[in-house]
Amino acid sequence: MKKMFLAILLCKLCSAAGRLLGKGSSLPGKIALKICPEILRLVEVPREIIAVTGSNGKTSTVELIAAILKGSGKRVAYNKEGANQIEGVTTLVLNWATLQGKVKADVLLLECDERYTGQIFAVLPPTKLVVTNLFRDQITRNGHPEWVYDAIRDAIPPETKLLLNADDPLSSCLGRGREGVTWFGMDRCALSLSHPTGIYHDGACCPVCKGPMEYAYVHFNHIGAYSCPNCGHAKPKTDCTVTAVDLESGEITMNGEEHLLLAFHSVYHVYNVLAAYAAAEEMEVPKKIIRAVVNDYVLKNGRTRSFFLGKHQGTLLTSKHENSISYDTNLRYIVTAGEACTVLIIVDTVSRKYFTCETSWLWDIDFEQLNVPCVKQIVLSGRYCNDLAQRFSFTGLRNWSVQPDIFAAVEALEAKGSEKIYAVTCFADRDKLLDYVELEQED
Amino acid sequence: MKVHITHLYPDLMDLYGSRANVLVLKRYLEELGCTVEVEYAVSGQRPCSAETDFVYMGAGTERSQRAAMEGLSCYSQELVSAAEDGTTMFFAGTAMELLGQSIREPDGREYPGVGLAGFSTVHGRRRTVGDVYGHTDLYPEPVVGYMNKCGTIRGVETPLLTQLQLGCGNGGEGSPEGFHWNNVFASELTGPLLVKNPRLLEAVAAAIFARRGAALPEKRPVDLWREAAYTVTEEALRGRL
Repeated sequence: MKKMFLAILLCKLCSAAGRLLGKGSSLPGKIALKICPEILRLVEVPREIIAVTGSNGKTSTVELIAAILKGSGKRVAYNKEGANQIEGVTTLVLNWATLQGKVKADVLLLECDERYTGQIFAVLPPTKLVVTNLFRDQITRNGHPEWVYDAIRDAIPPETKLLLNADDPLSSCLGRGREGVTWFGMDRCALSLSHPTGIYHDGACCPVCKGPMEYAYVHFNHIGAYSCPNCGHAKPKTDCTVTAVDLESGEITMNGEEHLLLAFHSVYHVYNVLAAYAAAEEMEVPKKIIRAVVNDYVLKNGRTRSFFLGKHQGTLLTSKHENSISYDTNLRYIVTAGEACTVLIIVDTVSRKYFTCETSWLWDIDFEQLNVPCVKQIVLSGRYCNDLAQRFSFTGLRNWSVQPDIFAAVEALEAKGSEKIYAVTCFADRDKLLDYVELEQED
Repeated sequence: MKVHITHLYPDLMDLYGSRANVLVLKRYLEELGCTVEVEYAVSGQRPCSAETDFVYMGAGTERSQRAAMEGLSCYSQELVSAAEDGTTMFFAGTAMELLGQSIREPDGREYPGVGLAGFSTVHGRRRTVGDVYGHTDLYPEPVVGYMNKCGTIRGVETPLLTQLQLGCGNGGEGSPEGFHWNNVFASELTGPLLVKNPRLLEAVAAAIFARRGAALPEKRPVDLWREAAYTVTEEALRGRL
């Protein structure tokens, strides 16, 4: 008990100091785990633990679930971005705990790094687990989607209720042989496509039997209505369904009756709303509260920032390096917006967490999407601009240029023109741009 | 010169931008004046014929790799004969492991490889990851790439990278990497390798030409972006030795 007390106290003190210094939230948990490795088993946590994992959309989904649950009057302890490994989760839990070790919240809502699900679920078994999707993401530490799938599958306690994306052929396999899965997905709608999109096709072969997969429709990449003629693995019947989407007005229809507004007009965000809606329904939040919260929601994932540069108005679309779908998402957003623009792509540091020169992921990004009239010019910048240039030389695009120095690239843009600028880069590199431009005030 | 490339099982084996190896080779050969035809073979399709100049297979997940071997199994002898005959091949990532005698999975199950080489692979439950900086006997410049695998390969007598100064090779840290025999190139490094290493691209093209009894022309195409990208990575990795 003495160790627990000390661990909680130090965690709280370090967190307070970290907030003052603007430091991350993993270190306090790390210190607490050093002092008392069993700390997460010793504290008294809420009966309800909701975990969210997957490759893309975790942060947005968690933020939205938290907003809805808070809107229904619940006290929700949840981890903010960048703190989804065991240390970050420890920081969260202990900061919400009394010095006697009781977590003062109704719900513990955990964004979990896929690789850490085993460690986290061993001490904090979730009552409900939402898996958003499984895509290629950070091969430098994750290997590949099936490797991550195996790690999550082995981590899920038998009593955990699963909420799964019916439209993802791989992560949906987590529901095979399990009772009571809640499936969320999207029906064929106006934005559906007849064939999988993207440069590579991870959905070409069935994840169960490796036979060729068939698709009735997709919403992006290989996310849609799949069926394997060989083994029968197919999109399950959905319990929580987006039945219509109008991305222009940003309105979606849930289960054929509920009209909701999107905070970010993107098909990828539709899935975040879907996952959050399914979780909220599972928590028996009244529909009118879900609707009110979703419709008033302002996206707070920190991924988009508006700025001014000379006569230009700009938008930073933070894309995760080593995650081609994250890039594809933002490129599709630029194209859908349709505004005459310059696109600035910066790859200067592959990761903010570790050193690597690994750039194979550039070949998985569908840059060809930018081959539309509204994209007037593309500027490639940063240390890996030559890798980007080589990649671009294999597209049909001809309106790109290279400026290795980020400041020189930004200065050149500032000096000329007034068109919209979209900056596409990662957390690791975004400050190199944001430190230069004038940021638009956020609400 | 007409060059026929067979890209094996791209639906199954296309992790880590693997297909880019074929893209850069095709363009390089075209810039050398060749007419290049790329045939995409689906699993179970014959891997090569008398007119095949280059056989390529990219990286795949361990489950895809096993499925690829099922498709390849009845053509193992054909592939070995083609390699003996001097056909140029490049097996990238997990595809390299298929060239050996066997692959043992973490649960102890084992399946045979093509048997073109004497090595064997054992898969573990941890991944070996990290940047690699090494040397090949083919040319003086260092080779750069990234290792991401869960297997340990034993018994490679003729590695592609004979010396590693950074990262993991066939048998672990510092061990030689890949396989090279006749005109068969294999490496588990991603990059993709021919994209990241202009000299290796040239070496593969030279092998294709040599089998046709020709040498690469004196004046060869230079992709300035590829050269500059190589320099940046080579310098960055050299700085970490």
